[in-house]
Amino acid sequence: MMTKLIDWIDERISIRTLWSAVANRPIPGGASWFYVLGSTLLFIFILQMLSGIFLALYYVPTPDHAYASVKFIQNEAAFGGLVRGMHHWGASFMMVLIALHMLRVFVFGSYKKPREMVWLLGVGLIGIVFGFAFTGYLLPWDQKAYWATVIGTNVAGTVPMVGGLLLKILRGGSELGNLTLSRFFAIHTYVLPWSLALLAGLHVFVMELAGPGGKWDPARNSPDRTEPLFPNQIFKDSIFVLFVFLAIAALALVSPAGLEPQADPTDTTYNPRPEWYFYFVFQLLRIFEGSYEVVGTFVLPTIAGMLLVLLPFVDRRPERAPAKRRVLMSLGGVTVVGVIALTIMGAMAPVVQAPSVTSPSVLAGRLLYDKNGCSACHSIHAKGGTIGPDLTHVGAKRDRDWLVRHFKDPQAVSPGSIMPKTALPENDLKELTDYMQSLR
Amino acid sequence: MSNHDVSRRSFMVRTIIAIFAFIGAAFAAALGGFGIMPALKKREPGWSDAGSVADLTEGLPQERRFAEIVKSGWQSEKQERTIWIVRKADNTLTAYASSCPHLGCGYRWVEAEQRFACPCHGSIFDINGKVLAGPAPRPLDTLPVRVENGRLLVQYEVYQLGIAQKLPA
Repeated sequence: MMTKLIDWIDERISIRTLWSAVANRPIPGGASWFYVLGSTLLFIFILQMLSGIFLALYYVPTPDHAYASVKFIQNEAAFGGLVRGMHHWGASFMMVLIALHMLRVFVFGSYKKPREMVWLLGVGLIGIVFGFAFTGYLLPWDQKAYWATVIGTNVAGTVPMVGGLLLKILRGGSELGNLTLSRFFAIHTYVLPWSLALLAGLHVFVMELAGPGGKWDPARNSPDRTEPLFPNQIFKDSIFVLFVFLAIAALALVSPAGLEPQADPTDTTYNPRPEWYFYFVFQLLRIFEGSYEVVGTFVLPTIAGMLLVLLPFVDRRPERAPAKRRVLMSLGGVTVVGVIALTIMGAMAPVVQAPSVTSPSVLAGRLLYDKNGCSACHSIHAKGGTIGPDLTHVGAKRDRDWLVRHFKDPQAVSPGSIMPKTALPENDLKELTDYMQSLR
Repeated sequence: MSNHDVSRRSFMVRTIIAIFAFIGAAFAAALGGFGIMPALKKREPGWSDAGSVADLTEGLPQERRFAEIVKSGWQSEKQERTIWIVRKADNTLTAYASSCPHLGCGYRWVEAEQRFACPCHGSIFDINGKVLAGPAPRPLDTLPVRVENGRLLVQYEVYQLGIAQKLPA
């Protein structure tokens, strides 16, 4: 049945010729575990696309609803935690594998002539993946999301000359809000996926045109060692893909994607920390002080990007063996060690515990206020009902004695009031009064 | 091929290029403007009531919250704000924006050390907003304040962060 169908298609569009061209595509020096990284990245991209599309079934990109919709995905929707967890961990794996893939190409000297364009497209892809990480961050609109985006966009704002303009364009205004979330969503779900698909397609296509590099030792790329792509390489690819898939799914179940409290722009007690793969940037931002700050936010990242772009044009010797490229290998080694060290330092950066300026009884009173449903009639800082008076500054208007008498019998102090008597124990009444007094 | 053919051919090549250059430029201008212009709208901060000035103690910064109406795209919404208020010995009041001038984290007053500390990249400020340590490129941002009938009024301005100059964002 299947063979007949394929025969039918083959008769019309020669699909077997196409497949045999793919399957017999020669791999100089034979199949290798080192070559599984690129195909696994392609696999993760597809995984991210699918999980992302399905997350979009329930996600709402506005500050009013984003948090609640993510909470729904995480806690209520069937398999929601798994789908979101896989999208979350898929992003981490993407970061790790893209770094390993680049490192492999660097060590093998595969970026050299005639594959310079393949390398350049790869550098572009790294940029896009960072863009994904940065824009995806904000979408849940929790504390981590909000503060990471405040910091990240401010980093862009330090770019000399155009920083202010860039900041506003990124945020869709001077502050984070509706327009920030909607444009981050559009970039994350439309602009970047299409750009990545296009660039990744070109990356593979140009590599096919230029020809794969194979091993660094020309002797090991002799025709007798050449193997076709299928089955050996595709088998290795599949085994590694399976391993990565299982790892992502297991992590999604064992260590679900976090969701912190909803974003609160007024919170001065929160300790913002980025996702682990940005720790090295985070640490870099801690190092340079005062007017040197721009070194960490702009100069070093720009130099790093430029070095990556220029690498195949600066290092033009045909020699590919790492043992004969000592200077470059040492520089690469120092960079890797540096990034790992910065990552560890960033992870260990001390937090600043917020001192309790608010007394415990005020906090307790605040809880009582919430628990007893006072906000059904009263509002504080624009939150709550409008039936009773606004209490935002009640502490400045009423003294302690008045408040206590009023709680016990509202009509006695304020004739005509429709507020019910507060039947609370003395201590609770005291805490509630403390809270009222703190509102000034 | 005659000269006539060549010029006819080059005419068509140029026309094709011109057509798509025109379409590209016109569309790019429209889309670019659509994407960027709303982002460049200027903010106009009003005066907000940040509470009573009666209970401000000299040398003890107080955190105050208030709400102001902010237009965010299609929505006018209540945006909560935080500021720090400091009463100085000469009885003047200073209000600081709650964003660290480095990259915008919410910093806090550490009473035991008598200084403001930012939890992100480790900037430290004294009570006058001066940078004592860390990456912050300028002192804490002061906000315009005035006192009316015992109430502190604040104009909540948003500044561009991470640079040495204090410019409105």
